[in-house]
Amino acid sequence: MTIRDEIVNFLHDEAFLLDERRFDEWLEMLDDSVVYRMPMRVTKEKEGGDDIVDEMTYLEETKQSLITRVNRLKTTSAWAEDPPSRTRHFITNVRIEREEPEEVHVTSYFHMLRSRGSTTEVEQVFGKRSDVVKKRDGNWRLVRRTIYPDQAILGMRNISNFF
Amino acid sequence: MAYTTVDATALKDIKEKIHTGVLPQWVFSNQQIYELELEKIYARTWNFIGHESEIRNPGDFVTRWIVHDPVLLLRDQDGQIRAYLNSCTHRGAQLCVADCGNKKTFTCPYHGWTFNQRGELIGIIAGNKVYGEELDRSQWALRRIPRVETYQGMIFASLNPDVEPLDEFLGGMKWYFDIMLGRTTNGLEVRGVPHRWLIRTNWKISADNFGGDPYHVAMSHRSTVELGISPQDPMYASYGYQIVLENGHGINICTTKDGTTSRPYQGLPEELWPEFEKNLTAEQRDILYRAVVFVGNCFPNLSFVSPMHGTGGPDEPLTSFVNFRTWRPLAPDLIEVCSWCMVDKDASEEFKEASYRSYVGSFGPGGTLEQDDGEIWTRVEDASKGFMVQSKDVHYNNVLNYLMGMGRVEPIEQWRAPGTAYPTCWLDAISRSFYEHWVDQLLSE
Ligand code: FES
Ligand SMILES: [Fe+2]
Repeated sequence: MTIRDEIVNFLHDEAFLLDERRFDEWLEMLDDSVVYRMPMRVTKEKEGGDDIVDEMTYLEETKQSLITRVNRLKTTSAWAEDPPSRTRHFITNVRIEREEPEEVHVTSYFHMLRSRGSTTEVEQVFGKRSDVVKKRDGNWRLVRRTIYPDQAILGMRNISNFF
Repeated sequence: MAYTTVDATALKDIKEKIHTGVLPQWVFSNQQIYELELEKIYARTWNFIGHESEIRNPGDFVTRWIVHDPVLLLRDQDGQIRAYLNSCTHRGAQLCVADCGNKKTFTCPYHGWTFNQRGELIGIIAGNKVYGEELDRSQWALRRIPRVETYQGMIFASLNPDVEPLDEFLGGMKWYFDIMLGRTTNGLEVRGVPHRWLIRTNWKISADNFGGDPYHVAMSHRSTVELGISPQDPMYASYGYQIVLENGHGINICTTKDGTTSRPYQGLPEELWPEFEKNLTAEQRDILYRAVVFVGNCFPNLSFVSPMHGTGGPDEPLTSFVNFRTWRPLAPDLIEVCSWCMVDKDASEEFKEASYRSYVGSFGPGGTLEQDDGEIWTRVEDASKGFMVQSKDVHYNNVLNYLMGMGRVEPIEQWRAPGTAYPTCWLDAISRSFYEHWVDQLLSE
């Protein structure tokens, strides 16, 4: 398998575990030092510069805070996910930006569709992810993830999922 | 009797109901009520549109909405704050569609009319040729939002030229705002940009939740108790004071059970404490010293919360933040939340960072507390649309319960601060006052 194949598999496995709600196994794919962020998107004129606002985020997470979020989902009263959401994370357009034997920088597109309750409403978040994945004891681990949503206004009631 | 339209008779019946501590559920989903609210409340009152720190430098602008009125808010070359209807005076195109930026002039993409920061029409393509000298350009300046006033850096605007002064409107709320916004000489600043997201609910459900409902904390946010982040005492969110203010405003000051604290001044950095001496009265300082959470609503839809939270497990330190948010009514069953994270300008970078993380982790749209609120407010709305609920006959038993503490809890007589204070946060006094003021506005001419 090429490194690219390994990384694509890694990203697909992650998406699979998230959608299967196997969050503990997903956490194992994250390095203890992981920096996991989802900055804000704003609408700007072309000449107004970068439309990503780094100082404010939807998610500003460490391994510990992600563990807390997962533990919350195991309580009896995390109503945002009880009844649980049905989600699909579609990960595409994987692009290896930098490849070393033990470290890979990779961007991918994501499209998360979410269904809650017995309605036909489809909630969605989509955008680009920029990741750093490193080899630790022979396994790839996510060290850094930055999630760039494309919408400046989220079209859903909350973010109770991971990307 | 079922009403076919929401007229004065129906509104008076609602008012009577509110006086007895109940509210017809259909006011959460009725189209006519919604339209009345836009006309009689939102078009007449003060609306929060931003904070001074968001337009710090000359030329800085943000675009905002007062319900469906687009607003261009900017700081001009002289440092003055100005707000215009964000719609070109020629044929109405939205003039600026960016959320924020810095500009000297605004050129409309439709036919190219150009306006400066003072709203003056300074450029017309082929102007003199097509309109001649007789076009009085001063008549075609950007339309000003009729009233713009600020309090402690908070910018409010009103579409109503005859609205009472902001000072009067805020009334006793100013005293409590001072504790959060005016405790340090240089005041607060907004971090980054506000979060914006949509919730399928009615604006009154969320305003009332922040304004007068610490009762929901025990159940809605029980996951944080299970995690060991919030206290185990099931009554923990009830301790403290609920304060009813004029004009439908209200604030809850949550404390520990015995009112003492191990985290003076909400854990704000000690280097700021001398500032509190300078800027706050002894009574205000006493409240800030002991407070665990401030949470409330400034009528109609400016809510705030200033709690202490952490982002890790039970052993992580808790940090306070100040969060203001508006619930913009987009439809009877839809709101856009706009939520600002604020922190004392003079706090250390380290504290600002911790405060920001605490906000994002708890009350941002992905916050561990916010998540469940959005979910449940949706459930209220979804259950408020059917026939039994929609029956306009308010004598039918289709009302919701706002009876908590009514005739049972007496105000504190010695309260040395504005408003009528009650010795518990588990009380529907603010909610009743909110709805009384609301229905009075709907009834007004
Ligand atoms: S609508 Fe703006 S220039 Fe015509
Ligand atoms: Fe809540």
